[in-house]
Amino acid sequence: MVVDIAGFQVADWVALVPSLILGVTAMLLFIVDSIEPRPGTSSNTVLAGLSTLGALGAFLVAGYFLVLGVGQPRGTGAVDLFNGQLVVDGMSLFFVVIVGSVTALVTLASYDYLEGQEYQAEYYGLVIMAATGMSLMASANSLATIFVSLELSSLPSYALVAFLKKNRGSVEGGLKYLLVGALSSSVLVYGISLVYAASGSLQLNAVADALAGGSSVPVGILGVGIIMVLLGFAFKTASVPFHFWAPEAYEGAPAPVSAFLSSASKAAGFVVAFRVFLTAFPEVGGLAGGDPMVDWVTAVTVLAVVTMTVGNFAAATQEKVKRMLAYSSVGHAGYALIGLAALNAPDQGFVLGASMMHLLVYGFMNTGAFLFIALTEHWGIGRTFQDFNGLSTQAPLACAAMTVFLFSLAGLPIGGGFISKLYLLAATAQAGSWLLGAALIVNSALSLFYYSRVVKAMWIEDPSADLEVDSYPSSLYAAVVIAAFVTFALLPAFGLLSPSAFDAASVLFG
Amino acid sequence: MSNPWIAIGALALVALAIPLSMMAVSSLLRPSVPEQGKRAVYESGEVPTGDTRIKFNIQYYMVALLFVVFDIETVLIFPWTVIYQDAVANVGLAEALVPMLAFIGILVIGLGWAWRNGAVKWVRSPRAQAQRVEQ
Repeated sequence: MVVDIAGFQVADWVALVPSLILGVTAMLLFIVDSIEPRPGTSSNTVLAGLSTLGALGAFLVAGYFLVLGVGQPRGTGAVDLFNGQLVVDGMSLFFVVIVGSVTALVTLASYDYLEGQEYQAEYYGLVIMAATGMSLMASANSLATIFVSLELSSLPSYALVAFLKKNRGSVEGGLKYLLVGALSSSVLVYGISLVYAASGSLQLNAVADALAGGSSVPVGILGVGIIMVLLGFAFKTASVPFHFWAPEAYEGAPAPVSAFLSSASKAAGFVVAFRVFLTAFPEVGGLAGGDPMVDWVTAVTVLAVVTMTVGNFAAATQEKVKRMLAYSSVGHAGYALIGLAALNAPDQGFVLGASMMHLLVYGFMNTGAFLFIALTEHWGIGRTFQDFNGLSTQAPLACAAMTVFLFSLAGLPIGGGFISKLYLLAATAQAGSWLLGAALIVNSALSLFYYSRVVKAMWIEDPSADLEVDSYPSSLYAAVVIAAFVTFALLPAFGLLSPSAFDAASVLFG
Repeated sequence: MSNPWIAIGALALVALAIPLSMMAVSSLLRPSVPEQGKRAVYESGEVPTGDTRIKFNIQYYMVALLFVVFDIETVLIFPWTVIYQDAVANVGLAEALVPMLAFIGILVIGLGWAWRNGAVKWVRSPRAQAQRVEQ
């Protein structure tokens, strides 16, 4: 097979280069660690540099492919690989961009965070392998490859959450994450088996073809299968009902890992959910007109509203900043679910594109917020809101960045989060789903309350006497500032990127 | 139209009946010679020592993990070797050989990493040493 990329006739697997870069980087990390195997002897600079370069490479190549039109109708058209087991299209490249940028920020920040830790090579190796799995999730086009790539991203994540082996919270979070993950994986694989029983195939397009007939499909089996698959993805995206690992794991894990999981891993879960439900089950859900056989759109609507509400109300009652961010990340999963819940709208590409753009903006602002927490952990100041009192007197730049993140997360017009939420609201309005729209507005207003508690503590409260910041770790600072800059820049630049999201999304609706 | 489940049910009945009848017949026919050696725990012909609740060295786990690497490798290489000649004739040497070399290369990197990090070095834990059953 040969495709035409920027005028060059190349083999079709070249379209998969962003994922391959991540895979090769993981292998290189293994080799580097094999040279100096004793824990703590490999150079942190080499490891962090290699991982950051690899993630950055994947990000840049995926972005360049998006610009060139690889996988998109104006370029090569969707590139099917390995008999349709993997597909490279606009949506997969868009999500590789998200995963790659988040991974690059996280590995950059980890350079300072991991200083003095043992097992640094293992840390970077696990991060890059998880990122490889996430980028493959974006391309997976069959239930089998989806499951394998989902596990490839999950298994390293369990180990990463428990990375601080001597820290109770870290180990406890890791164990809970592993147990909930094992449960939801089994639910997912059972759902996949039921879908296979009802349709006779695993490849998503073939599933859609088999289910298009209508009359001979066993609706009961298929319905249970679809709901179980949906629940399996709820784990990866930290949505209700499999959200309860999130606060424990995000709070216990090293903060860069929390940033990685709550941004990149969540985005990867969403791309899989989008692809499965829009490639395999559009007719079943009644999106092609006619009555739905299995009304998963309503099921997702319920999940979206419950997830938003649970996440935001739980976040409002927290005393620890990191845990508050963890619950707010659950709430944001609810916002992103609108992309599937509001698909009754006439312009479906707009609805899905709005959700994709929200995940892109969220990737930067949420990663940044967690990396700021990493910074405070590096300084050794406490975890509660009071511990942040007067922090701006010591570290004004980082606090300004954090303010941008928090207000953008809340949806104020200081970062891209404002426009992406506005688009989501427009999507619910198009679909005529007043329930989703109202839930979005009420929850965003509530979120402003608890985000501004942090801002108030940092800027208005007086610092306690012993608050002292003694070091300014450069790579952590750089990661936080870059994330803040991009979050802010996405406000004016939103219109530059959103067409690619809307194009990528509308292709799925053929 | 006979229900196909009848045949499966009959098969299940036979599957239960054969072992039960064999056990019943042999208990009727065999002579009863009770003896010490017959009541002992069977440990592959070895003389049994100690009870089953001993702590295994964590190293067994490492070896088992490495075994999985080679096991999966074998499962995937076997069918490849069978069709290799035809594959070379059809798609050429590069497409038949290079993917398998890449696959084995990835596994070799993993194995080399595990080796360098001491996964196959047999460490003795002091606690397991202390609890070892004296022969």
